[in-house]
Amino acid sequence: MGRVSAAALAILAMPLGSAATVATPGAAPAPAPPFQAPYTPTNDDTVLQEVPSASDPVVRQMRLLRGKLDADAGSVVIAEQLAQTYIDFGRQIGDAHYAGYAEAVLAPWLLQPSPPAVVLVEYATILQYRHQFADARRELKRALHLDPHNAQAWLTLATVDMVQGDYETAGHDCTQVAVSGGYALVIACTANLRSYIGQAQQSLSLLTQIDGQARAMPAGFRSWLQGLLAETSERLGDWAQAEVHYRKALSLTPEDNFLMVAYADFLLDRKRPAEVLTLLENASQSDTAFLRIALAKSALASPDLPLYTWIMGARFAALKERGSDYFGREQVRFALYLQHDPHAALDLAQRNWEVQRAPWDARVLLEAAQAAGQPQAAFAALAFLRKTGLQDPIIEPLARRIDAELKSAALAP
Amino acid sequence: MRQSRGLWFDAALVGIAAALASLAQAHSASDAYLTLTAQNSTVSDTVVHGQWDIALRDLDFVLKLDDNGDGRIVWGELRKHQKAVADYAYSNIVIMADGKACRIEPTGQAVDNHADGAYAALFFDAFCGAAASQLTLDYRLFFRIDPSHRGVFVLRSGAKVATAVLSPVNARIELGL
Repeated sequence: MGRVSAAALAILAMPLGSAATVATPGAAPAPAPPFQAPYTPTNDDTVLQEVPSASDPVVRQMRLLRGKLDADAGSVVIAEQLAQTYIDFGRQIGDAHYAGYAEAVLAPWLLQPSPPAVVLVEYATILQYRHQFADARRELKRALHLDPHNAQAWLTLATVDMVQGDYETAGHDCTQVAVSGGYALVIACTANLRSYIGQAQQSLSLLTQIDGQARAMPAGFRSWLQGLLAETSERLGDWAQAEVHYRKALSLTPEDNFLMVAYADFLLDRKRPAEVLTLLENASQSDTAFLRIALAKSALASPDLPLYTWIMGARFAALKERGSDYFGREQVRFALYLQHDPHAALDLAQRNWEVQRAPWDARVLLEAAQAAGQPQAAFAALAFLRKTGLQDPIIEPLARRIDAELKSAALAP
Repeated sequence: MRQSRGLWFDAALVGIAAALASLAQAHSASDAYLTLTAQNSTVSDTVVHGQWDIALRDLDFVLKLDDNGDGRIVWGELRKHQKAVADYAYSNIVIMADGKACRIEPTGQAVDNHADGAYAALFFDAFCGAAASQLTLDYRLFFRIDPSHRGVFVLRSGAKVATAVLSPVNARIELGL
């Protein structure tokens, strides 16, 4: 029961032709666009597009809440519930449309001079999802001004600070969660933080402790814990345990886009690309999943790789065309490993580093700097890693190699 | 452990915590593609040919194209909803030339595939006054339900090509013909 899935695979079956409407991506020599001109299908049964199925309980819930809100347009309680349901669903299937739907639901309150704190926190979640971290932080501060003990606001702020590498502030945010959020969330927040600052072993102990208490909790929460455990195990190079946790997480929330993509990265690193194709078979609608499919095709030297590269490029081109100024780690990996353009990748990685400083952001910057033969471009990331003490069996040796290159360059006459 | 659970977990927050894992994704949001080609004339009406590609995913959210709810829009379902698609789309666009509304006549629909899925391609002609020099476009598609929707707009007039990205804060644009 794929929720939103392989639309792109339907496209791949189309006859080749000219594309009037999709821009060709920049650097790579692209093959002929895989799309034909606008056409009229001849068979009523031709599948054009997969969409969320009306039989999906979440879709039913969204429609129910939408009906309730239509009947009671002034209810901030229903609006907040509907917005949260849209955000969660969009996240789960890797589809940004739902963040827009959530924003529209909140819009009447956002226009008020002083929106309720719950609305500001939901809005901040949307902004964070779109990588507008400064805007998200501003809305969270407004919410905390109204409601200083709002645990969700503190937790979201901690997440934003963590993803931007401000671990000191994130530590403070985590402690504030305690006031109304309960100990488990504080510990999860702190454990997450510790995995980034050279205390992955403590992080693992804390997460294991909470996990032992969490059996009666909702699947979404337990899955989140398992995801954190998987990530922390990766920090420690314990691949076997990381895999156990990824699989547990996916058994709790199957088809969760975020988890599938993280597990796919794990499999790509472990040189198991064929399993990536199976894992993401029904997830190609999501751009993040599609990139991993294309990377797996590349690792397998698959004959249809050019087509996948073209589609990925067209999707990024569409993002640029619509005026999105988001350049994330996915685009760095696309430029580096599928377009084989290390200089473009390095430029993207440096811009991404200004916005995000999670381990993957450091990694793509180091990889791009090395590939472009510009170790000095990784200077900021190296300093950051030294300061924070990140443990990572892939990033640490990479950083050491680039550091050595920098030192030998400095010694050269 | 039973009595400690309340202390340990705030049930309302555990879902939120899980949602925080959603960081760091690239994603397709809602786009439509509107291309206008103006044929200016000094003696008769200025005719503007239009092609408007609108994602079936977006149309399904508003118009529920997937009649049998199986999670797939087939051609037969879209065909049945073509009038609803046209009514919805054309009620969300106004084209004016030199301040006077142009008459929009739909000329057909087809299917157009983009990198992120299938789109309904709406073809139309807009009949504007003779010797028009200024074109105004007022575009409101999906903004009410999704403020992150963008209309990627191209205007061709003779050798000139103008482009714009239409958004809630840039919904009305004026261009010389």
